Amino acid sequence: MEPAEVEFLAEKELVTIVPNFSLDRIHLIGGDLGPFNPGLPVEVPVWLAINLKQRQKCRLIPPEWMDVGKLEEIRDQERKEDTFTPMPSPYYMELTKLLLNYASDNIPRADEIRTLVKDTWDTRMAKLRLSADSFVRQQEAHAKLDNLTLMEINTTGTFLTQALDHMYKLRTNLQPGESSHSQDFW
Amino acid sequence: MPSTQKPMRYGHAEGHTDVCFDDTGSCIVTCGSDGDVRIWENLDDDDPKSISVGEKAFSCALKNGKLITAVSNNTVQIHTFPEGAPDGILTRFPMHVNHVTFSPDGTKVAAGASDFMIKVVEVADSSKQKTFRGHDAPVLSLSFDPKDVYLASASCDGSVRVWNIADQTCTTSWLLLQKCNDVINAKSICRLAWQPGTGKLLAVPVDKVVELFRRETWDSEFDLSDASITESLNVVVWSPCGRFLAAGSVNGNIVVWNVETQQCIERMRHEKKYSICGLAWHPKYKQIAYTDTEGNLGLLENIGDVEKPNDKVLNIGLIKASSGLLEKEDDGDDQTGGFAALPASSTQQPFYDGPMPTPRQKPFQSGSTPVHLMHRFMVWNSVGIIRCYNDEQDNAIDIEFHDTSVHHATHLPNSLSHTMADLSTEAILLACESTEELASKLHCIHFGSWDANKEWTVDMPKDEEIEAICLGQGWAACATTALLVRVFSVGGVQREIFSLPGPVVSMAGHGEQLMVVYHRGTGFDGDQCLGVQLLELGMKKRQILHGDPLSLTRKSYLVWVGFSAEGTPCYVDSEGIVRMLNRALGNTWIPVCNTREHCKGKYDHYWVVGIHENPQQLRCIPCKGARFPPTLPRPAVAILPFQLPYCQVATEKGQMEEQYWRSVVFHSHVDYLSKNGYEFDENAKNQAVKEQQELLMKLFALSCKLEREFRCVELADLMTHNVVNLAIKYASRSHRLNLAQRLSDMAVQKASELAAAQQQQEEEEEEDFPKHSNAGYSSSATEWGRLPGRNAQQDQEVEDAEETDACEEAEETPEVHRESKKNIFSEWTGSSPDNSCRLNKELSGSIFQAVPAVVSSNRKDPVVPSANVLDNMTKYSKKTSLSGSRAVNKQNPPVIKPLTPRPKTKQASAASFFQPRTPATNPVEKIVEEREEKAGNESQEAKVTEQENTENRRPKTGFQMWLEENRANILTDNPDLNEAEVIKEGMSRFRMLTSEERMVWTEKARGGRVSDLAEDKKRKRPPAEEEEVSKSQEQKPEDTNASKKSKPLDPSTNNRLSAFAFKQS
Repeated sequence: MEPAEVEFLAEKELVTIVPNFSLDRIHLIGGDLGPFNPGLPVEVPVWLAINLKQRQKCRLIPPEWMDVGKLEEIRDQERKEDTFTPMPSPYYMELTKLLLNYASDNIPRADEIRTLVKDTWDTRMAKLRLSADSFVRQQEAHAKLDNLTLMEINTTGTFLTQALDHMYKLRTNLQPGESSHSQDFW
Repeated sequence: MPSTQKPMRYGHAEGHTDVCFDDTGSCIVTCGSDGDVRIWENLDDDDPKSISVGEKAFSCALKNGKLITAVSNNTVQIHTFPEGAPDGILTRFPMHVNHVTFSPDGTKVAAGASDFMIKVVEVADSSKQKTFRGHDAPVLSLSFDPKDVYLASASCDGSVRVWNIADQTCTTSWLLLQKCNDVINAKSICRLAWQPGTGKLLAVPVDKVVELFRRETWDSEFDLSDASITESLNVVVWSPCGRFLAAGSVNGNIVVWNVETQQCIERMRHEKKYSICGLAWHPKYKQIAYTDTEGNLGLLENIGDVEKPNDKVLNIGLIKASSGLLEKEDDGDDQTGGFAALPASSTQQPFYDGPMPTPRQKPFQSGSTPVHLMHRFMVWNSVGIIRCYNDEQDNAIDIEFHDTSVHHATHLPNSLSHTMADLSTEAILLACESTEELASKLHCIHFGSWDANKEWTVDMPKDEEIEAICLGQGWAACATTALLVRVFSVGGVQREIFSLPGPVVSMAGHGEQLMVVYHRGTGFDGDQCLGVQLLELGMKKRQILHGDPLSLTRKSYLVWVGFSAEGTPCYVDSEGIVRMLNRALGNTWIPVCNTREHCKGKYDHYWVVGIHENPQQLRCIPCKGARFPPTLPRPAVAILPFQLPYCQVATEKGQMEEQYWRSVVFHSHVDYLSKNGYEFDENAKNQAVKEQQELLMKLFALSCKLEREFRCVELADLMTHNVVNLAIKYASRSHRLNLAQRLSDMAVQKASELAAAQQQQEEEEEEDFPKHSNAGYSSSATEWGRLPGRNAQQDQEVEDAEETDACEEAEETPEVHRESKKNIFSEWTGSSPDNSCRLNKELSGSIFQAVPAVVSSNRKDPVVPSANVLDNMTKYSKKTSLSGSRAVNKQNPPVIKPLTPRPKTKQASAASFFQPRTPATNPVEKIVEEREEKAGNESQEAKVTEQENTENRRPKTGFQMWLEENRANILTDNPDLNEAEVIKEGMSRFRMLTSEERMVWTEKARGGRVSDLAEDKKRKRPPAEEEEVSKSQEQKPEDTNASKKSKPLDPSTNNRLSAFAFKQS
């Protein structure tokens, strides 16, 4: 999957906004949204939240986990453990990026949050590379990776599988090639 | 040790502290290096009131409700006491101020600073300052002569000087102390003190002794010392009587001497040997409060009890028994021992053991946070938020609207230092207290104004302070200290003015309603004694609540007053109980929510910002560990549900009862609104009625199951008539014939009552008519049309002769009605009086349907009620009824006046109960007949039910509509036909119609459905469809005529149908 596609999926996540307009319930294929009362928090999908925010029609309330204290804890936990730790949201990276890009004025300490999430992401990517490396090196047949998010899988998924394919080809070609060579010599 | 030394407790962060008592000795006040001043009610007070005065506080002094602090920004500040509100800056220095002290009368303050200067400033007027120059190093301590002639000071230059305050000269100077270059290096802070009263002696702590100097001669009189003192003394204080002297040392010793005998009467050691830096003698009791440089606070009690050691020995056992009498004896001893001069000791005070009065709560604005905060909410309501910033950089007001379509956000400079604010959808109202130059002002920004001048200001008369303000629709009001409520128009015209019976607590406005809460009297034992007035300021100008007592939870105070979005008065007390005015029960207050039940922690609170009745929402902000939210981070609104405190809500019964009554309470505003001619959502009302009736029916079924038939009857008493029918059916089906009988008796009785009430109401309305026409209803045209009609109805019997004519005319007029109600009615309203007679005649036909019950009861006509039952059950079902004209006539009233249709329809079906003699009209009988007797005739019944069903869902096909119109015709032709045969006959007749005619009917059926859909939004028919209808009507004038005359079967069918319809919905 393309990162853009993953982001598209992430936009279905619900966030809370405080609208500054009044609108009755709106009926969409995916379900009803609203009603929107000025000053009253309401849950909407990220795509709508961003759209409204860009039109200055709402104020965004960051998700609970988008808080410096909690993210610090997550980052430290991630650094401490060898395996992947569960993330607060399956789309943490995408949400952080989207919300911080469009609604950073409604998120306290936005820069710190950005850094923390990036740190966590880097740690996880390093782990992923490391595990891929040892996987290849030890010529394992299978590996189990828990708590990976969709975006993370997509960063290495295609590359890794293709690489493994190639390696498999090379490996399988190696033996017959050698033998054929020797046969040729013979 | 005879005196009791209580264990020290944490008071402030580590560092220098200072302590003093307030004037009455009721609390201890400390300040510390954490920049807070804390007010302790006693040593065990775990929740002292904290006032943040700066980054660090070096010294504090308290007198006459003024708290003076020397803080690290080199200023001497005033705060009010005990509120702790900043009251200005008294004076500034270029360097830290080390000590501040009050003059004995409290009019002046002396401050000594590290810039070697001493200033004496008048508290009332900080511009009157005197400076005393002469010290060559930072000033350590100061003391006022009790006679207000001299000022003594100690400095790091080692000198102790006495100044003449009047001419600011140095009277004398001693070189007593060790020199140093700064306060922090000084061995002792040398808090010196004059003897209270005469000022004969000046006590100065000099190293390990206290030197006492005589006034005027300035000779050293004597020294006080004690063997226990091993380090320099830091602080010296006199007892208020002037006989005792206490001193504290840098290693934690506190020694008390009797000055007359020069004997040490008390020695005490700090538990951790920290340096004592603050000592204060209680103004009345034998207590000394002390603080150390580590921020701890301690208290010594019963100082001086040592005086009679022998007595002590004698009494010690008895004292341990601790009887009040003995303590009295002890006091007697003390008097001889030297404490006689103390103004009053605890037991000598006149003793009162009754309930104590509660201090009156201060006026407040709903939805505001305390005034002393630097960043605070001035108001948060359903319209928007006003915040106030008052810090070093900025003094401003920020206004933000929840709905940006009302107005854009605004930022105002707060140059007048407004403290009160209110916000509505048309204006912003601000008010400030008076200052010395400026009067108290009311400032209104009327952004709804269409001219260029958006603002106006009004000055209050001299000595009149605004205490509370509020905004309504088109008006603003303020309550002042002169116990006046002043009402202004929103444009700034002064309007009504009236006196309040007591000091105002808070006000709230909504629409035309003004609610004022004030102190009715003094509350006792923590209770407040409040009263409430509710006025309507609009056209009616009447008082609804005449200063009734406001019910508050015990020991609580009011925290929020306001109206629900629908205009019902509500308030919240400090225990978190939300109460709402129950207009349906004689304007009583009903608790609708306990916000504390939703709190997680003991100290959590909900800060209410708004109440909505439909949907039921209590909008509030959760505050963790506080009563109010901070401005940053921006708090989020939460919604709490309402719950009436009914018993046993865990059970099904209790739960449904609670739901039922909550629904009733929260929809009573609809009645109020309709009574006062406001618009409201009729859908919501119908929804509510339906919900309530469903709950009642469920309760009824539950009680039936539990064999509680009496309770069933009680429940049925609450039901509307149609639901009673259903209940009767339920009862008879579950073989409770006794119950069914009782219910039907009740139904009959109810019906007759209703009929009587209706009659009465009509008469009243007739009288009211001229008034109504002036009231300016939004849809007055139709209202008018109907009312004259009623007049006609009243005259009907008189005009019996004309009746027939009228009837004939009526055959046409209903059509006209339907097509162009508006036009015709407006014409009618414009018509001249001589037309009215004719008009009456014209209308009397329609009256038939508008007031069917009256007609029926007068004339015993069984036909008329038929349409109405069904009408009521299926909303807006124009097409359901038998004759279109009837349906329309029925349809009119709900649009205009929602109250009438219900009673009327009740009455209508009631009337059907009235004539149970006609065999087919009693639904119960009919049902029984159908269910039991005709059980054999299955095919027939099937058809009937089928028809019932289709009719329930409103006529779907043209044939059904046609049949309804023509059923009467068929029946008159063949009176002995039964249901199925009628349909058969109808079928054949319908086939005989031309295809065009049939098309018209199908069109009509289709159109009817469409219009029914459209009905939900607009209650108007598409004109095209109306034409069709009228055409079809005109085509069969005889038919309709005939249908008017008699249809014996119809009422019963409809009654049955109505029962089904309810069930189905």
